[in-house]
Amino acid sequence: MANIDELRRIVKEIVDREDVKYVIGYEKGTYGFRVSPSFAFTPEDVEKFIFSPLCVHNLAVYPHLEEKLPLKRNEKEDTRKIGIIVKGCDSRAVAQIIQEKGLDREDVVLIGVPCTGVIDLKKINARCPHLMYGEVREENGNFIITAEGDTHRIPKEELLCDVCTQCENPNPILYDVLIGEEVESKKEDYQKVKTLEKKSLEEKWKYWEKKFDRCIRCYACRNGCPLCYCEECMVDNLSPQWVRRSVTISENTAWNIMRAYHLAGRCVGCGQCERACPMDIPLMELNKKLEKDVKELFDYQAGTEEEPVLAVFSPDDPEEFVL
Amino acid sequence: MNEAKDEMNEFEPNIVAFLCNWCSYAGADLAGTSRMKYPPNVRVIRVMCSGRVNPMFVINALQQGADGVLIAGCHPGDCHYVQGNYYTRRRMAVLKRLLEYIGIEPERVQMAWVSASEGQKFADVIKEITEKVKKVGPQHHFRRRNVWRI
Repeated sequence: MANIDELRRIVKEIVDREDVKYVIGYEKGTYGFRVSPSFAFTPEDVEKFIFSPLCVHNLAVYPHLEEKLPLKRNEKEDTRKIGIIVKGCDSRAVAQIIQEKGLDREDVVLIGVPCTGVIDLKKINARCPHLMYGEVREENGNFIITAEGDTHRIPKEELLCDVCTQCENPNPILYDVLIGEEVESKKEDYQKVKTLEKKSLEEKWKYWEKKFDRCIRCYACRNGCPLCYCEECMVDNLSPQWVRRSVTISENTAWNIMRAYHLAGRCVGCGQCERACPMDIPLMELNKKLEKDVKELFDYQAGTEEEPVLAVFSPDDPEEFVL
Repeated sequence: MNEAKDEMNEFEPNIVAFLCNWCSYAGADLAGTSRMKYPPNVRVIRVMCSGRVNPMFVINALQQGADGVLIAGCHPGDCHYVQGNYYTRRRMAVLKRLLEYIGIEPERVQMAWVSASEGQKFADVIKEITEKVKKVGPQHHFRRRNVWRI
């Protein structure tokens, strides 16, 4: 994990630049172990920035969430850049958005931070339910939790997010400044997806029916996702109404298929949807399946190629399924 | 009509077919004018190109009571819009695998290349998909229930 003083110093320099509007980073949250996104408009704001294994959010969502008010007379549009602190997956998300022309490379300043994996808050709460507030740092493959005067040393594997345990891109692939040393990448083996694939159709449907039945259609998965940035989502569209608003297994399934399919070949695997889900639906199992398929069928990985996978074709794509 | 089906105790599937205007629809037309026999389970929706078929069309058809969906277009390289069917092929390859992963039988969503001169092939494709869908039975996974019928 990056040295915090160095990070603050570099971010201060960037905020001070004429052509930068603000920098998005992390600050200490107000409740529990949570860390919240932070926006620095001046060098003084940077003092509250932190970076720890608790910084789970994918900050690539924010450039699209910013509200653009109508311009007053004689007012010029603010075209200054936005700085973002990016981990490996976040930088892939930004690269994917740039590739789809949702953002311009000139619009963003990327401060890359090699990431050794972030903590799953649900696991921390399950492991030490008595701890309410605390800080976490990493040391020699252990997470050290300092809380209420005590220190707890917990092996890294026990708290790491599921997606982080097999992260193939821990180092930012796109950045202007890189803070800290590059870390070793791991190998993705899609073990969960493969075990589920091997089950019979009935078992699979039973599994997913139970999961989709829980969905309350709050669309937190969509809002947290850095790649769900359409101006009007298909699910909000009333004419045609693709998915009805009733919370039934039929509409829930349609919504979840739709959400997953829209991320086919685009999902960067940051796991933000699963983290945002209040009903604990294993959304990453759907996303990973699509990631695996796209890799197998078209030899493509999101955020690393020139063109989006479903926007191009090759005359000799697989077609053994065609009658 | 549904009661009559129950009496005969045989399942007759509903199949929605998205046919491209330039090849498959003309192929279906040829099958009709040549008086070829094929099962009456298929309901045709004409689209200008198989590339028009949004994967949500497939999902919505399955929701609204279709037991199977067929998407037919021109042969690769023959598309009226040059490349539309290539995109569909990619999309459907991914969609079929996703549906299978969720537990929907892959037989329900099929793709075929039928050109305007292939009336016989169209009849064969419809026969094949009807048989396959009959075998897997009605789609009850995520069909809409308690819907007011007009």
